[in-house]
Amino acid sequence: MKTKMNDLELAEELNGLNTIQMIENSLNVGRAKAIYIIYKLRMKGFVLTEYRSDKTRVYHISPQNALGGTSYIDIINKNSPIKLLAVDVHKIYGREPSIEETLIYAIKRKSVRYIIATLSLFKKIKNWSELYKRAKDNDLVREVVALYDISRLIIPKITRMPKRFKTLATPKKKDKYKFIIQGLDSSDFKNIEKKWKVYIPLNASDLTDYKVEVS
Amino acid sequence: MINIQQQQKLLINIAENLPRNIEAYAIGGTGMIFHGLKDSTLDVDIVFRNAEDRRIFRETALSLGFKGTKAEIIYGNKDNIPQMVALSDVRIDLFLLKIISSNFSEGMQKRATQIHEFADKLFIKAADPIDIIIMKSVTSRDKDLDDIVSIINKTKINWKLLIEESNEQVKLGNESAILNLGEKLEKLSNQKVIIVPKDILDKLWKLLNKQVKAKGKKKK
Repeated sequence: MKTKMNDLELAEELNGLNTIQMIENSLNVGRAKAIYIIYKLRMKGFVLTEYRSDKTRVYHISPQNALGGTSYIDIINKNSPIKLLAVDVHKIYGREPSIEETLIYAIKRKSVRYIIATLSLFKKIKNWSELYKRAKDNDLVREVVALYDISRLIIPKITRMPKRFKTLATPKKKDKYKFIIQGLDSSDFKNIEKKWKVYIPLNASDLTDYKVEVS
Repeated sequence: MINIQQQQKLLINIAENLPRNIEAYAIGGTGMIFHGLKDSTLDVDIVFRNAEDRRIFRETALSLGFKGTKAEIIYGNKDNIPQMVALSDVRIDLFLLKIISSNFSEGMQKRATQIHEFADKLFIKAADPIDIIIMKSVTSRDKDLDDIVSIINKTKINWKLLIEESNEQVKLGNESAILNLGEKLEKLSNQKVIIVPKDILDKLWKLLNKQVKAKGKKKK
C-alpha cells in the first residue's frame, strides 16, 4: 500500500468509480486487503455500491457520500430513463421529497434537459391533488398540464389525470401565452401549445430517447 | 468533535423544531464537511443574514436542551463574536454576516451555491472553499493552517478569485486580510506543504504595498 492513510484520505485517493481490481492496482494491495478497505470505507459511509449488467460490483467512493441525504436529481434519475448530471448540489436531509414536488422543482429549473427527463415522472404520480396544489402555489398549473399531454404522447401507460385538474387548468380568454423557458417554443406540439396557452420548449426530435409517437 | 452523521442528526433535529424556514451559511469546518474535505469538526459554524433568524435558531436549540455559553471565553473581547450554544461536547457558533474581523461579503454569499436542506425548514448554503481559506487565514491556530493546506491540496483553487476576495475584505474594513492571507500562503509554501503559483504571492504583496501607500496618503 502506498503509505498509511486515514479513511478520509483513502476515500479521496479512491474518489470516483472503482472495482476491486482497480483498488488493488491503485493502492498496490492484494484482493483481501482491497475488500477490507471497501468494508472500512463503507462503515464510514463513503461507499455506494452499484451493479453492472454482468452483476460485477462497482463502488462509487466519495467523502461526500457520507453526508447521506437525497436530492431532486437522485429522484429524477431513479425514475427516468433520461439521466441528469448533478451540476449544482442541493441535498435534502430528514425527508424524502415526493415525485410531485420533484416534478415542480424540475419545471422551475427552466432547463430543457430537466423538462425532458421529468416527463416520465408523470407515470409515477400518485397524488394528483398534491401536484395541483404545488403547481398552483408556483403558478405552474397550465405548464404541468401541457407537459402531461406531451408525456401522454411519448410514454406508454401514463395514469389519467383527473378531469378536475384539467378543468381548473383551462386557460381563460384573457390569459396570455406563457413560456416554460423564456423564448423557446415548439414546432411540433402546436396543438398542445394552443390548448393550454403554454409554449412548449421541446420538439419531437428532443424526445428521441423516448419512443416518440407524435401524430 | 462532531462527525458528519452527528452534525446531520443535530441539524435535522433543530430544523424539525424551527417555527419557520431559515436560510444560513456554513463556514469553517462545517462548510468543509459539506464539501467532503473533512469528516469531523470541533464546532458547527453558522452565519445568519439577520439577527432575527439567529434568535429563532438559538431559541430552538435552547428549547432542545442546548445551553447558552459565553463566546468571550473562546473569542476574548473581540468585535463581532458569535452567540454560542452547546450540548455536551457539541458547540454551535452563531455568527451574523460579520465574523470577527472578516465579512461574509456579497461575493461570498453568491459563491455559496451548495444547498443543504434539513427537514424542509433549514436551508444551509456551504461557503465556497476559497472563502473558507480567507476566513481561516485570519486566525493563527495550527488546525486552521491544516485546513488551509487540505483545501488547497484537495480542490482546484481559483487564485485570481482568492486575491480579489481578499482585496474585497480590505475594502469592507478587514485591513489585515491581504497580509494574513499572504503570510499564511508564504509560510505554508516555504514549508513545501502547498504549491502557490509565484505570481500569486507577488500580486498579493503588490496589493499590500498599494494598501499601505493609500493609507499613508490618507494620514497625510
